[in-house]
Amino acid sequence: MSLDTPNEKPTSKARSARKAPANKASAAAPPAPLKAFTDTLLTVLAGNLQARVPKELVGAGGEEMAHLLNQVLDNFASSEHRKHVAAQEIDQALDALISLVREGDLSRWNTTTEDPQLGPLLEGFGKVIETLRTFVREINEAALRLSSSANQVLAASTQHETSSTEQAAAIHETTATMEELKHASAQIAENAGSVARVAEETLGAARAGRGAIGEFIQAMQQIRSDGVAVADSIAKLSKRVERIGTVVEVIDEIADRSDLLALNAALEGSRAGEAGKGFSIVAAEMRRLAENVLDSTKEIKNLITEIREATAAAAGAAEASKSATESGEKLGAVAAQAVEGILAGVQETSDAARVINLATQQQRTATEQVVASMAEIEDVTRQTTQASKQATGAAAELTQLAARLAELIKRFKAD
Amino acid sequence: MAPDRAVAAQARPEQEFFCFRVGELRFGVPSENVLEVFRAGLLTPLPRTPSFIMGVTGHRGEVLPVVDLLRFLSKGEARIGPRTRLFIGVTGSIVAGVVADTVLGLRRIPVSEILPPPLGGDAAAEHLLGVVHGTSTQDGINLLNFHKLLQTARQRAVAR
Repeated sequence: MSLDTPNEKPTSKARSARKAPANKASAAAPPAPLKAFTDTLLTVLAGNLQARVPKELVGAGGEEMAHLLNQVLDNFASSEHRKHVAAQEIDQALDALISLVREGDLSRWNTTTEDPQLGPLLEGFGKVIETLRTFVREINEAALRLSSSANQVLAASTQHETSSTEQAAAIHETTATMEELKHASAQIAENAGSVARVAEETLGAARAGRGAIGEFIQAMQQIRSDGVAVADSIAKLSKRVERIGTVVEVIDEIADRSDLLALNAALEGSRAGEAGKGFSIVAAEMRRLAENVLDSTKEIKNLITEIREATAAAAGAAEASKSATESGEKLGAVAAQAVEGILAGVQETSDAARVINLATQQQRTATEQVVASMAEIEDVTRQTTQASKQATGAAAELTQLAARLAELIKRFKAD
Repeated sequence: MAPDRAVAAQARPEQEFFCFRVGELRFGVPSENVLEVFRAGLLTPLPRTPSFIMGVTGHRGEVLPVVDLLRFLSKGEARIGPRTRLFIGVTGSIVAGVVADTVLGLRRIPVSEILPPPLGGDAAAEHLLGVVHGTSTQDGINLLNFHKLLQTARQRAVAR
């Protein structure tokens, strides 16, 4: 502008000069004094705005006129100059706007003017462009943030999808485990049931054993009392045998005396000679009888001895039997106690098995409920997975969009 | 029966013996030398008598010496138990009790079956009438010359 300033005067002069001739030319075909005016105006019209009416050529009468015309030409030239400058500034502004529109370059807007008419307009443009610059900057920043956020969202969404898939797998596994648990608890219930059955059978057997042991103890007591009776009988028998022994002793004594008597009788008979012969024979017979009796009593004595030994053995056996039955009774008592213990233990086992059975049944019900719940959870998780897939897709799209936006925004150069 | 027995006696002369056992030995004494048999009761030992005199015993008011045949014949020693018998032997004026473990009885032995005592035997042989063989060697009976035996015994007892 400042450079143009020196040219301003001539230009306005030229313009005014050009104007003037137009007016003057149309006025008339000038006479000679007017020729200087005409030439100057023609020159100005031809484009030389510096051209002025030379005062020396117009003469005295035209001096005033030349001076006025030159003033007009000066004004014209300066006006032309101003116009030119304004056009230049407008061109510059247009260029900037074109480049803004074409390339989105906001940085090139640097246009200023001193033109009072153009000034507010350009200032308004400048404000608008400044506002646009701020927008672009903010949008750019926002796009960058959006891009990174979208990336984060995508990452998060992808992770969520992965997690959701893993969760689905875990839930599936859990469901399978719960199924296994259900089967296991059914198995346990079955086992507990069979334990309860076996315990019931054992209980019956132990009860039978208790009864048998009771009978055994009774039998032992019976045997013991029988043994006592046997011992009594043996003692009585022993006494009787002793009595027989004394009787046999008496018989023996009598037989011995008879033997002696018969012998002496035989001797008497023998002394009587022929007359005593028969007597002797009878005496000998008697003696033989007595000897027979003695033999018999000897045999009886042997028998008595044997009986004595046998009764002693029997008494010993009865005593042994008595102690054996006593120990048998004790053993029976111990066995009865043991069976009582077994009964109590089996009863407890049976109760425990029943409780286990009940608990496992409850557990089975609970497990089934858990399985159902897990199925629901699985369903929900599937939906979640699907949703997170969709979210991932959306996030990917969003990322793309953010990238695109960033790309688009990059076209606008704010700085 | 009497005629038959008489005929038999004439045809086969017999002698009656009182047979008994002491220890392992069996003896026979002619029955006419035996008075009576009774149980050997308590014997009263006599001092200054031969060992074959076991002692004295009272019988029907008489005091009798009791002879142990086994000691007399040097064949051992007799023992007195509850069943031991004592018979009263008589020969001439000599009366003595003799210990017998068992009395076998009176036996009639045909004279023809009596064998002479073995010659060159021990001192016991001189008091034997003879020997009768039984069905086995254990059944053999030594028949004693009781008269001689008692006389010898008396001589030995007096000689002291």
